[in-house]
Amino acid sequence: MVLPPVAVITVFIGLPVLAAIAYTLGRADGPNSVVNLFAQRQHVVKHGVTLAAYRDVLGTPSVRSDLWATVWITGATLSIVLVVAWGIALYLRISNTRVARIVSGLSVVPLFIPVVIAGYASLIFYSSDGFLRTVAYHLGFHNFPTLGYTLTCVLITQVWVSIPFGVLMMSSGLNAVPDALIEAARDAGASLPRTVVSVLLPMNVIPTVITATFTGIGVLGSFTIPYLTGPSAPNMLGPVMSNFFGAYGQVQQAEVMAMIVFVVAIGLGTVYVWANVRAQKRASVIS
Amino acid sequence: MKARLLAICALALVAAPAAFAAGSTHAAKTVTITMYSSGDVNVQSLWQDHIIPGFEKTKAGRHVKVNFIFSEHGINDGTTLARIGAAVKQRKWAGFDLIDGGVANTLALDGLNQPVTKATAPNLKHVNPDLLKPVKGAAIPYRGSSVVLAYNSQYVSSPPKTLQALLDWIKAHPGKFTYNSPNTGGSGYSFAETVVDSTLPAATLASLTTTSNYDPSIESAWKQGLSLLHSLNPYVYNNGVYPNGNQATLDLLAKGQIWVAPVWSDQSLTALANGTLPSTIKLTQISNPSFTGGAAYIGVPKTARNKQSVYKFVNYILSPAAQQQIVTVMAGFPGIDIKYMGDAIKQKFEDVAANSLRPGYGTKYGNDFKAQWQQTVP
Repeated sequence: MVLPPVAVITVFIGLPVLAAIAYTLGRADGPNSVVNLFAQRQHVVKHGVTLAAYRDVLGTPSVRSDLWATVWITGATLSIVLVVAWGIALYLRISNTRVARIVSGLSVVPLFIPVVIAGYASLIFYSSDGFLRTVAYHLGFHNFPTLGYTLTCVLITQVWVSIPFGVLMMSSGLNAVPDALIEAARDAGASLPRTVVSVLLPMNVIPTVITATFTGIGVLGSFTIPYLTGPSAPNMLGPVMSNFFGAYGQVQQAEVMAMIVFVVAIGLGTVYVWANVRAQKRASVIS
Repeated sequence: MKARLLAICALALVAAPAAFAAGSTHAAKTVTITMYSSGDVNVQSLWQDHIIPGFEKTKAGRHVKVNFIFSEHGINDGTTLARIGAAVKQRKWAGFDLIDGGVANTLALDGLNQPVTKATAPNLKHVNPDLLKPVKGAAIPYRGSSVVLAYNSQYVSSPPKTLQALLDWIKAHPGKFTYNSPNTGGSGYSFAETVVDSTLPAATLASLTTTSNYDPSIESAWKQGLSLLHSLNPYVYNNGVYPNGNQATLDLLAKGQIWVAPVWSDQSLTALANGTLPSTIKLTQISNPSFTGGAAYIGVPKTARNKQSVYKFVNYILSPAAQQQIVTVMAGFPGIDIKYMGDAIKQKFEDVAANSLRPGYGTKYGNDFKAQWQQTVP
């Protein structure tokens, strides 16, 4: 029963990943012999392995600044999305008014807009003749900064696109907290902030971790948004990798960058697994 | 996909007996040649609605039937390449006699195409011989597109005529010029290469563009030109914004955000005709050096059948009548030297063209150039 899926995963995911790892370590034979034909500026060894490709990539100043941009954009998007999604979900949980429902409904709208459209719209909105600058101009700010083609624009668009998933995860997590628990806390004299910190927050750790890891991994490997709205340099690693792979013909360097992104994503994934394991342990203790 | 495949199979089943029937009535005089092409719909229309019917009406083409197979956006290019490659190595007919598009270049470089010297098409001598060098003389340039300088005549009354004048103009008008990053499109690439070329010794430039062996050590000569490009940053749109893609530059021009930019001739002529670029945008070519241009190639696989008929067709493609179609249908640049074209064409391209396309770097040098631009300029 288990064998077919395991075989599919091994053949279609496991082996290509191993071949890619071997290629980044300088082995261009076997499954990598085709790429070896057309790639340029490779670091190849016949026996053993070499870290020359990694040294080459990490020794390039422009790539280092691209990596740094990727890390800070990911971190900033993550923090903003967590705060905003928590805020909206909490508002919806404790105040079930029409305004709250409209706010939560609006916050999910970006889910239904394709990323390409969102990226292009955002670029136009923040461009030098865009809506924001036009309004600022009429209000008397004649030197309002142009955000189009900057990392700030990338950050804003990433947040915009990532918020719906966060809101959906958080509100389903908060809705799963029984009313009885909240009412019990309020009856015992806890203030609203106290209830949030002592009841809602600990009961909502798993959805928070899921939102954080999935948003983080998504932003880390994103391509469309930085490609459309970002500056020429430094930009996030998504478009940079695609340039190295296609435009520069440096396939090995592109795969090295993919490995670096992979390692960072593993870091985020570890947090997710740890949180799940912890939750399961607790659940088994309670039952 | 499956449905389309089925439809093609069904069509082939119906068409094949029909073709045989037609052949027998014409006393085996009609020769069928099969052509493969890929690209956008404008390429399809050029062949299907203009060049092929035009050829079949001529005296040379009366007994030739061109069977046209088109792959939109080149989705079948990979399999076609593999099929021709395998067939030619086994010295068998691959099913195609004439190839248009990127496949032709790859076949030429891999030595799977017939060398042009074996072709018996008299019009071939009207083609710029420099354009044969990047494809090792095994593919035929039949249309081209050159990078030109677009300017907004509302704000710029006398556009720069030379590269030096353009650089002076950029510095005198901060924020009114930009080019797309070279890795995202040929027009920005051409500007960057042209600036760097102007600082290179002629011998270095010649080995970058014409020799097929790749020697990265000569790339150190780019340093001076790249630092010249870097020094332009404060004068470029928004203090050094280089948009992604040829179209992004046209958008900035159309909105009046920039006044001068390098653009592709065919892309901007089409945009002008459609009205997506306002008529205040004019095109011109600079000199000393001029911007580079690129050609599209056709190739004859080594194992093609009925080669005499194929070359008759090639000869027609390179005739002024067919080249005229390329100009009118897709605003393309003639593949033959412009002096063989009619006066109307000469006038149309007078401002745009030096009378030949100046070839750019070889593929691998080009790739490295894009990488170095990205690391040093923005």
